[in-house]
Amino acid sequence: MRDLPQKEGNLFKQILKCYELRQYKKGLKGAEQILKKFPEHGETLAMKGLFYSHLDKKEEAYDFVKKGLRYDLKSHVCWHVFGLVYRADKNYEEALKCYSQALRIDKDNFQILRDFANLQMQLRNFEGYVETVHRLVDMQPQNRQFWIGLSLGYHLMGKPDSSLKVLTTYEEAMAEANSKPDYEQSELLLYHNVVLSDMGDHEAALEHLNSIEKIVLDKKAIKEQRAKFYLALGRLEEAETAYRSLIAHNPDNFAYFDGLLKSLGLSADKLSDEDQTKVLDLFKDLKKEYPRSNVAKRLPLRFATGERFSKIADEYLRTMLRKGVPSLFVNIKTLYTDREKEQAIETLMLGYLAHLHKSQGFDNSGAVVEPPTAILWTRYFLAQHYDFKGDSDEALKLINKAIEHTPTLVELYMTKGRILKHAGDYVSAMEAVNEARELDLQDRFINSKCTKYMLRADKVAEAEKTIILFSRADIADPLNDLVEMQAYWFLIESAESHLRQGQTGRALKRFHQIEKMFGDFADDQFDFHAYCPRKMTLRAYVKLLKLEDQLYSHPYYLRAAQSAIRCYVSLFDKPDGDSDEMEGMTESEKKKLRSKQRKAELKAQKDAEENKKKAVAVQDTTKKGKVDEDPEGLKYLKIEDPLAEALKFLRHLEALASDRIETQLLAFEVYFRKNKMLLALKALLKAHKIDASNATLHEQLVRFSLAVRKSEIKPSTKTVIDKHWETLYHGQDLATFTGAFLKQQKDSAVGSVPHLISAAIAASLMDSSKAGKETAEEILFLMAKEEAKFGKSRSVENVQVAIKTLKSFKSARTQELKAQAAAWFPRATAFQV
Amino acid sequence: MTPPAINMSSSTTTTTLKNNAAFRMSLGDITPNNVGQLKRLNVVLFPVAYAPSFYKEILEVGEFAKIIYFNDVCVGGVCCRKETVAGSATQNLYIATLGVLAPYRRLGLGSKLLNHILETATEASTTPKVSKIYLHVQFGNEEALEFYKKHGFEVVEKCENYYPQFEVKDAYKLEKVLVASN
Ligand SMILES: CC(C)(COP(=O)(O)OP(=O)(O)OC[C@H]1O[C@@H](n2cnc3c(N)ncnc32)[C@H](O)[C@@H]1OP(=O)(O)O)[C@@H](O)C(=O)NCCC(=O)NCCS
Repeated sequence: MRDLPQKEGNLFKQILKCYELRQYKKGLKGAEQILKKFPEHGETLAMKGLFYSHLDKKEEAYDFVKKGLRYDLKSHVCWHVFGLVYRADKNYEEALKCYSQALRIDKDNFQILRDFANLQMQLRNFEGYVETVHRLVDMQPQNRQFWIGLSLGYHLMGKPDSSLKVLTTYEEAMAEANSKPDYEQSELLLYHNVVLSDMGDHEAALEHLNSIEKIVLDKKAIKEQRAKFYLALGRLEEAETAYRSLIAHNPDNFAYFDGLLKSLGLSADKLSDEDQTKVLDLFKDLKKEYPRSNVAKRLPLRFATGERFSKIADEYLRTMLRKGVPSLFVNIKTLYTDREKEQAIETLMLGYLAHLHKSQGFDNSGAVVEPPTAILWTRYFLAQHYDFKGDSDEALKLINKAIEHTPTLVELYMTKGRILKHAGDYVSAMEAVNEARELDLQDRFINSKCTKYMLRADKVAEAEKTIILFSRADIADPLNDLVEMQAYWFLIESAESHLRQGQTGRALKRFHQIEKMFGDFADDQFDFHAYCPRKMTLRAYVKLLKLEDQLYSHPYYLRAAQSAIRCYVSLFDKPDGDSDEMEGMTESEKKKLRSKQRKAELKAQKDAEENKKKAVAVQDTTKKGKVDEDPEGLKYLKIEDPLAEALKFLRHLEALASDRIETQLLAFEVYFRKNKMLLALKALLKAHKIDASNATLHEQLVRFSLAVRKSEIKPSTKTVIDKHWETLYHGQDLATFTGAFLKQQKDSAVGSVPHLISAAIAASLMDSSKAGKETAEEILFLMAKEEAKFGKSRSVENVQVAIKTLKSFKSARTQELKAQAAAWFPRATAFQV
Repeated sequence: MTPPAINMSSSTTTTTLKNNAAFRMSLGDITPNNVGQLKRLNVVLFPVAYAPSFYKEILEVGEFAKIIYFNDVCVGGVCCRKETVAGSATQNLYIATLGVLAPYRRLGLGSKLLNHILETATEASTTPKVSKIYLHVQFGNEEALEFYKKHGFEVVEKCENYYPQFEVKDAYKLEKVLVASN
């Protein structure tokens, strides 16, 4: 602490105490008292900032901390406080920098070192982490958590041998203390075993496992690991015994059966005829031994083929249909990767249906009268089967029959909804699922599904009303409660609905909420960096870290980020608010639409304000929580630099989902607009490497090439681009290049609608004259001309994109394609006029 | 799978179909959350459209309204109305609806529903005492007639034009006396 007279010095100590006790207001007062006399005391200024940070006054917080630093740049306290303020804002990178500064001044500050290590772990700076923890071990060798931390650090940076050394040293030291076995010691030993096995020395790992068996409490883990080691060491007989005993413990664990097969040398994907017999005989015995095991019944279906498959499937299906197992189709459909099995199942099921109709039996033997539900579940299964095959008509026929038979069964309406959704009729789909909901109002799952279907049908108000039925009653803004509860499925579905309805602001608001949510998930691990080494939950901790590393590749994040980036890109392209709707409109039409939208916006703003007033009034009396002040998300539309916002989303994708082609395609869109030609090129190259035949990539290559030709490019940049010309364009000129792409589409047996769209866009870009437009139209209409080739590739979604593309050409043939689409997808609402 | 209402009556029975395939049947309470099931049943079982007030009252009669599950699928139900009798210390019970979906008939489900009503009506804890149970069956509904006769109900009256809105307008009134009225 820096020179203060005794009285103020004591006061300063007191405010430090206040911080520890979370008495921020009191601390703030104390700081102000000191500052009255010593307005230039840097550390007090910094502390004042820290209190502000915790009192939710972020701007003031940074102002004061920075001011403090200006007066006292050499104080580790100031730097530490600066780090704390950044940390509170989850800005770990900046926090880390501040901590390094603090440590430069006071290199043995225990507290700062400890915080520093946690930050390094959060940022996965393992080398730094190990170094820091080393110093902590030196300072407090009696402190177990630092030893553990050190071992963890080595393990995570891929040095299990060093990790092991640390563990052994520590355990030897501990052996003398001779603590009695407890959970923590048990976990430590198991972790030790994991490290050993990660080193690949299974012999040693097995030996170790045997030596710790008595002390370890998690007996199941011991058994599973031992079986694995036997297998890895080729000690097959022992492995077999081990897996059989595991199966006896839990005959419904796939992995145990897998292990058993491996130990019998029977795990190849394609079994020889002889081996197949062996496997099936084995399962016959297992089924007898464990008559209640589902896995023992189900697994043979994976291994059997041909006649034998049909026989086993027949027995399996009958049992399940008799019992009435709603998940039967979901469980069976994984077999459909094998066309032959799919066909065999269909034949069996159709046979049952025919016989049940006539004789209430699965066959005509008349031996057994099946329960009346048998025919119901048979139809239910077949409806899903045909839906899976894309035959909505047959699927609907079957599900309607089933509903007629038993109109009280919720699952039937859910499936009907799904079939209709696949057929593109979102409104009827929603109605079906709502019927299911009305049959069972207390089922949260159905309620949520129903909400989702409402959003798919763009009935946002109804969806909000429905989802709220299950939220807490005492919340001022129950919708916002969903954000708090991290219901990301709801956020993403509403965002996408807003997008379809041209409400970009609302959509963006949701995307940012999702982004924040994932940020929170990442932050959630922070506390565990200190907690887990202390509590010894090491195996779980390592798993958590691995999971967190994958966080941003979660499908929901991908979906949100991709849409958000697209929004910002189009905000950049059409800053005056042209929406997709305006594609192809004349200026005066646009003007009209815009003024209509503006009026709606104003009204919405007014409504929002009134709601706010009302809500605030209510809030004061009964309800908790904040009220949304900008439900329209207007602030996102007014953003100055939309591409910078897009980049924020893109960064996460680039870091954790760079092997997804979507990431690279979006990266191109952003960098291309920012005129960062080399980065755009890099994205193209990566995309090319992932999937050179991607449809969108083609269109991007054409745009890139045209831009390079037109714009002034630095010679150095040009050289780099030229270097890759061969890879990307096969060294061809643009006309040859696009010609080849189109020809490939025309020649191949199975066509692809996305590729046609891409080729059409390319054609229109290369020749903006009337002739060019006509060529583009011709290309798109290929999907209608060649039924056999394109029929399978057409989907409600991609045909919609095709129509939009035509619209963007201001093509006179837009309606023509739409009429075609209506014939292809008679139920799809998107194509109805 | 819809769980058969949380607060389910304890009586789950396992019965055997004519040819050995076993099935479970159990009674369930009607709650605001699953009353939709009952509505759906009644829509397909009875030509009469019941008003919302009907279902509101159902939620008040306790054990005198039930649904029945066949292997966890809701396939039938019964709804009664309690009627006070002027100047009497006893009450009457009117069966407004009792039905089982067609594919699930002749398996004893209707009987299980009706027996439950009969048992509840004669329970000591039911007050006031139920002196008789009665109902109407449309002319021509032989299966219902047989069903009730089998359970000791008797035709006491022919009600002409009881269902003025339907083609077959006449009905039988059936009843079963539980306690001799004094
Ligand atoms: C009447 C009804 C509820 C009977 O339900 P159920 O579950 O089939 O009845 P049960 O299986 O318990 O039958 C019990 C007995 O009733 C008699 N019965 C029922 N249906 C019969 C029929 N169609 N023909 C002759 N007797 C019949 C039989 O004696 C039967 O015993 P059994 O099967 O051992 O021969 C059912 O037919 C129904 O829902 N009908 C439509 C709705 C209706 O009309 N309800 C009555 C007005 S409230």
